[in-house]
Amino acid sequence: MSEKQQYKGIKVEGVQKGKADWYLYTDLCKGCGLCLEKCPMNAKGEKCLSWSNEVGIYATPAVQPDPNICIGCGACALTCPDSAIRVEKK
Amino acid sequence: MVELLSLPPEIPSAQNMKVGASKFCPGCGHGIILKSLAYVIDELGLQERAVFGCDIGCSLLSWNYMNVDTVQTHHGRTTPVIYGVTRANPGTVGIAYMGDGGGLAIGAQHLVNASVRGENMLILLCNNTNYGMTGGQMSPTTMPGQITETTPYGRDCETTGKPAKGAEMVASIVDPGKSFVARSTVSNVRKLRATLKKALTNVANGGFSFVEVLSICPLNWRTNNKDTFGRLAKMEEFFEVKDFVVPEGLN
Repeated sequence: MSEKQQYKGIKVEGVQKGKADWYLYTDLCKGCGLCLEKCPMNAKGEKCLSWSNEVGIYATPAVQPDPNICIGCGACALTCPDSAIRVEKK
Repeated sequence: MVELLSLPPEIPSAQNMKVGASKFCPGCGHGIILKSLAYVIDELGLQERAVFGCDIGCSLLSWNYMNVDTVQTHHGRTTPVIYGVTRANPGTVGIAYMGDGGGLAIGAQHLVNASVRGENMLILLCNNTNYGMTGGQMSPTTMPGQITETTPYGRDCETTGKPAKGAEMVASIVDPGKSFVARSTVSNVRKLRATLKKALTNVANGGFSFVEVLSICPLNWRTNNKDTFGRLAKMEEFFEVKDFVVPEGLN
C-alpha cells in the first residue's frame, strides 16, 4: 500500500455544521441501503441520507447526505457492512 | 460527484483491506459481525495471538476477510479444528466462526462437547434463520411460519419441530465459572462490539465463550432494507437478546 494510492469516492464537505466531512468509497458500496435505515430522524421527520445519483461497485445507487441536515453521528459508518462510509471530524 | 480521494477507508488493521469489497451479498450481516470482531481484536491487541477458523456456508467467504491467521475447515468441524489449535499452542486466541447450519445442525455435536469441556475458544455463531449459500432453505433456527425455499407455506412446527435456541442450550451445559454465553444482534452494532469484547477478553483469560449473533439475509429473505430490519426485530422477540452466562470478574 503506497501512500500515493487514491480511492474513488464521494466527498461531502461541511456536515455537522462544518465540523466534519463525509466520505463514501464507491468501490466498496454495494447499495444495500442499511445505512438509510439507521440514519436518525430529526424533529421534522427528515433523514439526511438519501439515494445518490452516483453508483457503487455493483452499479446500484450509492447514498449521499444532505450537509445541511447531517449531524455527523456516524451511524451510517457504524452500520455499513463493507466500511464504505467514513465520517472524519475536523 | 465521484472524485479521487486520498483519505483511505476506515478499516481496522485486523481486517484485510487489500481485497476491496467483500464477497458477501449486499446488506449481508456477516460483514457487520466480522467488522465488529476486527475492531474488537484491534482494541484488545490480539491480532498476533488470534487464529480465525471459518466454516462451510456463507461464512466461508470470510476466508480472506480477516488479517489474522485463518484456517478454512470442513462443514461443522470448525470447533474441533480451532480447539485443536489452542490445545497445541496454548495462549492462542481461537475464534471459530460459523453459521447456524455449521453450529446447530451438522456441527451441533462439537458445539455440545466443546461447551461441556469448556475449551479455551470463542464460538461465534451467525444466525440468519436459513441456509444462505445454497439458496435459502430451512435451517434449524428458521422461525415458525417463516417462508423459505423448502417451506413454501411457512415452517410448520408440528412436522419440523421448534427452532433450535443455541445460546440457551449452551448456557445450560457450560461451567458458569469460566464461560461467557450471550446472544447479540446486528441491529445494535455498539452493543455487539461490547459483547464481543467481553467474549474475547474471557477467551484471552483462558475461558470459553459462545456468542450467537442474530443476523440478516436480505437476498434470501427477499426483503428490502426496511423489511430486513423489521424481520430482525421479529427475530429479536423470538430469540431473547441478552448475556446468559457471565463469569465473575468480567464486566
